[in-house]
Amino acid sequence: MAAPETGREPVVSMRDIVKIYPDGTVALRGVNLDIYPGEVLGLLGENGAGKTTLMKILAGFLKPTSGYILLRGRRVVWHSAAEALRHGIGMVHQHLSLVPVFTAYENIILGLPSRMLAGARQRIEKLMEETGLEVPLDEVVELLSFGEQQRVEILRMLFRNVDVLILDEPTTNLTPNETETLFNAIRKLKQQGKSIVFITHKLREVLEITDRIVVMRRGRVVGELPRAMADPRLLARMMVGREVLMRVEKPPAKPGEVVLRVENLWVKRDIGTWGVRGVSFEIRAGEIFGIAGVEGNGQAELVEAITGLRRVERGKIYFLGRDVTNLGPAELYRMGMAHVPEDRRSTGLIMDMNVVENSILGLHRWERFLRNKWGMLNWAAAEEHAKELVKKYEIAAPGLYSPVKYLSGGNQQKLLLGREISKNPKLIVAAQPTRGLDVAATEYVRRMLVALRNQGHAVLLVSSDTDEVMQLSDRIAVMYRGRFVVVTRPEEVTEEKLGLYMGGIEQA
Amino acid sequence: MPESAALIFAVGVLNAMTPILLTAVGEIIAERAGVVNIGLEGIIMIGAMAATMAAEGFGPLAGLLAGIGVGALLGLLHAVLTAYLKGDHVIPGIGVNTLALGLVPFMLIVYWGSAGQHTVPRYAQVPKIAGYISPMPFIAILIAVAAWYILFKTPTGLKLRSVGENPVAADTVGILVERTQAVAVVVGAALAGLAGAFMSIDWLGVLTKEIAAGRGFIALALVVFSNWNPLWALGGALLFGTFDSLSQWLKVLHTGIPDTLINTLPYVVTLIAVAGVLGRVQPPRHAGIPYRRE
Ligand SMILES: Nc1ncnc2c1ncn2[C@@H]1O[C@H](COP(=O)(O)OP(=O)(O)O)[C@@H](O)[C@H]1O
Ligand SMILES: [Mg+2]
Repeated sequence: MAAPETGREPVVSMRDIVKIYPDGTVALRGVNLDIYPGEVLGLLGENGAGKTTLMKILAGFLKPTSGYILLRGRRVVWHSAAEALRHGIGMVHQHLSLVPVFTAYENIILGLPSRMLAGARQRIEKLMEETGLEVPLDEVVELLSFGEQQRVEILRMLFRNVDVLILDEPTTNLTPNETETLFNAIRKLKQQGKSIVFITHKLREVLEITDRIVVMRRGRVVGELPRAMADPRLLARMMVGREVLMRVEKPPAKPGEVVLRVENLWVKRDIGTWGVRGVSFEIRAGEIFGIAGVEGNGQAELVEAITGLRRVERGKIYFLGRDVTNLGPAELYRMGMAHVPEDRRSTGLIMDMNVVENSILGLHRWERFLRNKWGMLNWAAAEEHAKELVKKYEIAAPGLYSPVKYLSGGNQQKLLLGREISKNPKLIVAAQPTRGLDVAATEYVRRMLVALRNQGHAVLLVSSDTDEVMQLSDRIAVMYRGRFVVVTRPEEVTEEKLGLYMGGIEQA
Repeated sequence: MPESAALIFAVGVLNAMTPILLTAVGEIIAERAGVVNIGLEGIIMIGAMAATMAAEGFGPLAGLLAGIGVGALLGLLHAVLTAYLKGDHVIPGIGVNTLALGLVPFMLIVYWGSAGQHTVPRYAQVPKIAGYISPMPFIAILIAVAAWYILFKTPTGLKLRSVGENPVAADTVGILVERTQAVAVVVGAALAGLAGAFMSIDWLGVLTKEIAAGRGFIALALVVFSNWNPLWALGGALLFGTFDSLSQWLKVLHTGIPDTLINTLPYVVTLIAVAGVLGRVQPPRHAGIPYRRE
């Protein structure tokens, strides 16, 4: 395969790596990978492609079933992650592994022998200055933002002088600003000759920051190319294995009567400060109203107030013409409001319950699912319903009676959406509906939302993915510090402009 | 030698404080490393018994060492089951407590031929300063302060606590999770064994079949009450010691309050104090959960 510069030796080579998990899952089917000094390697692939598994093997967290690793040409076998770290390979996981009650400083130096602690503070400060990865060293890390915690992990690796730094989907929980800081640091590290492996399923990022892209699919490397030769369409096709619609087709909207009207809404956060500060808007049947914004600007509170999960302090909500301010979720549900919550794993689905059970959650009082007037469930009807959903929405499940935790994120989301749609709701409130989903599932869910709109349902879409809001919405509001800074149409605004609104830099 | 009542009271407080303090500090060390050991009551009892045997054979120092040794062995058993074999943390403790309930009365009969209690001869008892002040309470206080210093002021303590908070993080940076836990549990249980030895061959001078009298459990409560901090445990143990002493005096003063009720005083006061601070404490995040790698 093509090296970025001929004559340069890879710092790490992985050869014929196969990984079969104890439960029999074949995660890697013979993977070869070279990593060169001073490059940013993009490891691209859909969820479940095997990216994390491959890198965990490189960093000593997992043992390969077969295959081997060469470090600067010499064969190595890791017995632990710590051993790989000592040899200069460090990995920052998607789920950070810091000690929450320790300070940033303590987390960085943890486990180092005493002789390496002399002047540690000064050296860390210098490192922060060089890379721009600033953190408050004496703050307990659980009080830091996710972005700061991630910097602590990266600093911990850099302080141990790693040559290969692996970042697993590092931008998932970052704000645009934090992402920029991270990218700048990556560029500086590269100049110092370090190798960075950047794992992602986001095409845009891989095109922005990497030098070379390796695409994985179903446990195999299916392609490798320099960034200069890559384009989003090509990469998406390699990832998914077929042509992907990068744009969702959308006929012009035919807005009908007003379904939801929100008037000067004020809602508090958990901690008692104002989350939503005087928001007004309406949504009509047959349109998608999108709310963009960096997370934490009151979107979550707004959604909870509309769906009856949080108290409205001031203002009014009208649903189908009726004043529903502070009405409970059950009543709203009956009136025809469906909610696809932000955190499907803890509020939308019950992970330990099976597909059939989850498919009728909230519908279980329907006559169709009752055997008799005492409320006994008719499981045959429930199973029938689950079968329909699985078929209609192409849900890949190990079985109708397997717990939904064994479904991939995309299939969980399809099940959830399918269930909500089966209520034939007047309004669908979808919060971050494609978060964490792979390209194919994202495309599917977006198409579902547009189809619903075309059928005359009203859709409230809340998303921090600007691209998604731009593509799907008929009208867009940007939320910043509890207010709408602008309400506009996608054709009247650019993504850059939207970004400025989101950052509070531009006001309409 | 004139002994003021105040001095005698103070010595009583210190003595009553000591077993609770040693046991609680030991358990704090173990739980800070993520291992919960509820078998402390049993370790105190078996420690007291082993100490008596050794002291009668080889003198008081051997007795104290036997208490420590037996505690350490029981701790090692617990460490193997929890840290290495990744078993449940609670069940082995129940086992040790139950074992002690049978073993100590049994040995009292077959070894000493007495049902229920055996008086430790003078020569086997720990010698006293000025005839009635044991050195052990001061050693216990030193141990508590040293434990605090090591846990919170040294890299060793940082490593130990990281294992109890997030073993994955510790593992990643090369800290030997299992070994750290094992050392912590062994040291912790050894301190409980020492507490037992102190009770039989020092403070009380007698081995009874219920010698621990719930102190192992009070120590467990104190671990929480102290927010897993040896210095706070010192305060809590002093509180218990004070009311324990006070209850002895109340009994002597013939107040008319039934003895059985007076006996509950130190326990009740300590538990109220514990209840008062519960909810404000922050346990080690990974305490009591077996650490398994994927
Ligand atoms: N601990 C595990 N046990 C069993 N299967 C696993 C485990 N971790 C991951 N897998 C499976 O291995 C495959 C690859 O997963 P992963 O490496 O996490 O992919 P990616 O990081 O590309 O999303 C998936 O099918 C996943 O379900
Ligand atoms: Mg992954």
